[in-house]
Amino acid sequence: MIIQEGMSIQRKLEILSDAAKFDVACTSSGVDRKGNQTGIGNSLACGICHTFSADGRCISLLKILFTNECIFDCKYCINRSSNDVVRASFTPKELCELTIEFYRRNYIEGLFLSSGIKVSPNHTMELIFETLRMLREEYHFNGYIHCKAIPGSDPVLIEAIGWYADRMSVNLEFPTAESLKQLAPHKNRKNILKPMRQIQLRRESNNEYLGIHDNKQPHYNAPVLRDDVFGMDSIYNKGPSNDNSLLKIDDVNYKGGISLYKRPSIKRDKFVPAGQSTQMIIGATEESDYQIMSVSQSLYDNFNLKRVFYSAFVNVNDDSNLPSTQDGPPLLREHRLYQADWLIRFYGFRISELLTEKNPNFNVFLDPKCDWAIRHLEMFPVEVNKADYRTLLRVPGIGVNSARRIIAARKTAVLGFKDLKAMGIVLKRAVYFITCNGRMMYPIKLNEDFITRELLTANDRLPYGIDRDITYKQLSLFDDISFKSDYKQDAKTDIKLVPQRYSPI
Amino acid sequence: MDNTKIFVCENSIDGIFTAIYQAWSSGYGHANVKIEEQCDKNNYSNMELFSEYIIVKTDFDKALKVSKSVKNKISQEAFDMVCRAALSDYQGKGDLIYRFLILGFHMGGKIVNHLSHEVVNRIFKLNRYVNYEVHHLLGFIRFSEQDNRILTSIIHPKNNVLSLVTPHFADRLPNEKFVIFDGNRNICSLHVPGKSWIIAEIPGIEKNDCRDIVDDEYGNLWKAFFDNIAIKERVNPKLQRNNLPLRFRKDMTEFITGNAISTL
Repeated sequence: MIIQEGMSIQRKLEILSDAAKFDVACTSSGVDRKGNQTGIGNSLACGICHTFSADGRCISLLKILFTNECIFDCKYCINRSSNDVVRASFTPKELCELTIEFYRRNYIEGLFLSSGIKVSPNHTMELIFETLRMLREEYHFNGYIHCKAIPGSDPVLIEAIGWYADRMSVNLEFPTAESLKQLAPHKNRKNILKPMRQIQLRRESNNEYLGIHDNKQPHYNAPVLRDDVFGMDSIYNKGPSNDNSLLKIDDVNYKGGISLYKRPSIKRDKFVPAGQSTQMIIGATEESDYQIMSVSQSLYDNFNLKRVFYSAFVNVNDDSNLPSTQDGPPLLREHRLYQADWLIRFYGFRISELLTEKNPNFNVFLDPKCDWAIRHLEMFPVEVNKADYRTLLRVPGIGVNSARRIIAARKTAVLGFKDLKAMGIVLKRAVYFITCNGRMMYPIKLNEDFITRELLTANDRLPYGIDRDITYKQLSLFDDISFKSDYKQDAKTDIKLVPQRYSPI
Repeated sequence: MDNTKIFVCENSIDGIFTAIYQAWSSGYGHANVKIEEQCDKNNYSNMELFSEYIIVKTDFDKALKVSKSVKNKISQEAFDMVCRAALSDYQGKGDLIYRFLILGFHMGGKIVNHLSHEVVNRIFKLNRYVNYEVHHLLGFIRFSEQDNRILTSIIHPKNNVLSLVTPHFADRLPNEKFVIFDGNRNICSLHVPGKSWIIAEIPGIEKNDCRDIVDDEYGNLWKAFFDNIAIKERVNPKLQRNNLPLRFRKDMTEFITGNAISTL
């Protein structure tokens, strides 16, 4: 291991930002907090992108590792212990100053702190804790902080950090426990899910508590809500007068308690207010889209996660046990997964509607919503002037915003296709699935093959640069078909090419 | 013969509201009046031959009356929409707002949802256009620290968004002195701790005062971070350009290379 003494901040920043670049969740969303007039910083629930790096991804937070020294040897990771790379570590003070000075100049929305595992998970988490504590209490930083919870660290530390951070995340890394075992021998599934559950339960009890708090009852009268899941409160409230209120803990005199884990002295009464997220690596292992999305769905359902991020695998170590990414990372696949993720979170879809075990991967050519709609033509066309919000959301070309706009606009007028266009509905896709005032825009037969072909020739623009997974040869084949007069017969046989899925790895 | 009366007003919310007040009370009839705001984009070579031009002098009392009745008789939301539309760079916004208010006083608060009406739809789109730029700038504004610790920033927005972006920074940086300079309009907003921020017109400001100091240590650190955070395997300039249009970049630290200070 190469450790350089007396490294400049610039050099450390280079090494540790480079090492952090594969973390995906650079979002600053989920919490609305006004400035407090004394410190520095506020936060907007919508999040703010401050710039976009050369790969087109948003930079919102100072995304950085505390250290890239690591005792773990995860096969996919550039910082694995068996790699011979330059190692560096920040001190909490250096990181605080960097964050504050970047923040003052409006470079960033806050800090996203992750870390390699130095000495032990607990040691690393203590360093992270100290950084966050300094930032909040000594530098009076009131902006956004996203922080990783390191699997295997003590619940007490996670609890303590949760009062300083806005969002916490534990990386799931892979959808199945087997893959994790294979590629990250030092991690195990249980250690990942445990902190996730802890944060979830703590947030729930805190929200419940705040529900009472909101009733304007004085704090000391509020009943105690104990969180005994991990026996944390008993550890946490080591002080002698552990009486009635969680918020009173500030006043408790910590005699003989672990002084390091003191509750923030500044008033922060929400535990991980922006919730937690996680991320999975896509394309390093053989899981299907169906497996991946099923895991995501159960994370949303059972762990109350705010976001699951997907990261197209890049074989940085040229490890021969892992798939090569010489032709570029599987970006289209990542894109389809995000599309499906949105369908689950905002459009009321269940993964079982989009994929099945027999049909486990997303369509390369059609987005998941179009793909679903074409397989469920019996539900269309939908009358725009009457359909309820949930039904409107299911129409390809109508999103959350446009569905809301439709609902608002039809209160004052009967909507026609011209109005829809003016309101931003993507008619190119929606036209096959809707009626205005009982009429379709022009006569369209509700036929699976026909609509598929039309949607494909509409040639939806994919985000730049991810279309290289598609073989254009097959697309041109379809173009030929649509010129034939009697396409119906051919279509029956050829259309089978459409559901071409990702080739197995 | 029916001449169209064209009320020419100052390009500001107050100017437009004054013109609306005058046009409304003139008694010529809505169909016979038009409101035109003076702006740089208009070169005034296209004056209408048979129309009568009436120059409107901005009158704050009249403007206040209009804004009060918009808030009371239509809604606060409609008022906000009108204000943002008035800050946009759209030529003809004065008349558009006039038509919007005619309809608004007729329909009341529900006008904001009447998106299938052309005028409402255009006001809605103007709002979105202004809001997008404001939201972009909340992220893209770059401050540089001068020797006296004052933070300065220069922007070149299409719309007159200074009054919409400044509150955000005043809330965020309550203990900082900062200046945001709008290079397209020669106005700037000023914030001093403990006082409310103001917008001032400074025709003779030395524009380079607001520039990055070339050796700002943190500017260089930021550039280093910016370069290292990109994943080389995913480099995608088109996506980057789509998300971060080129017009913002000349004012952003990470895109200003070396000593080259871009010309204003």
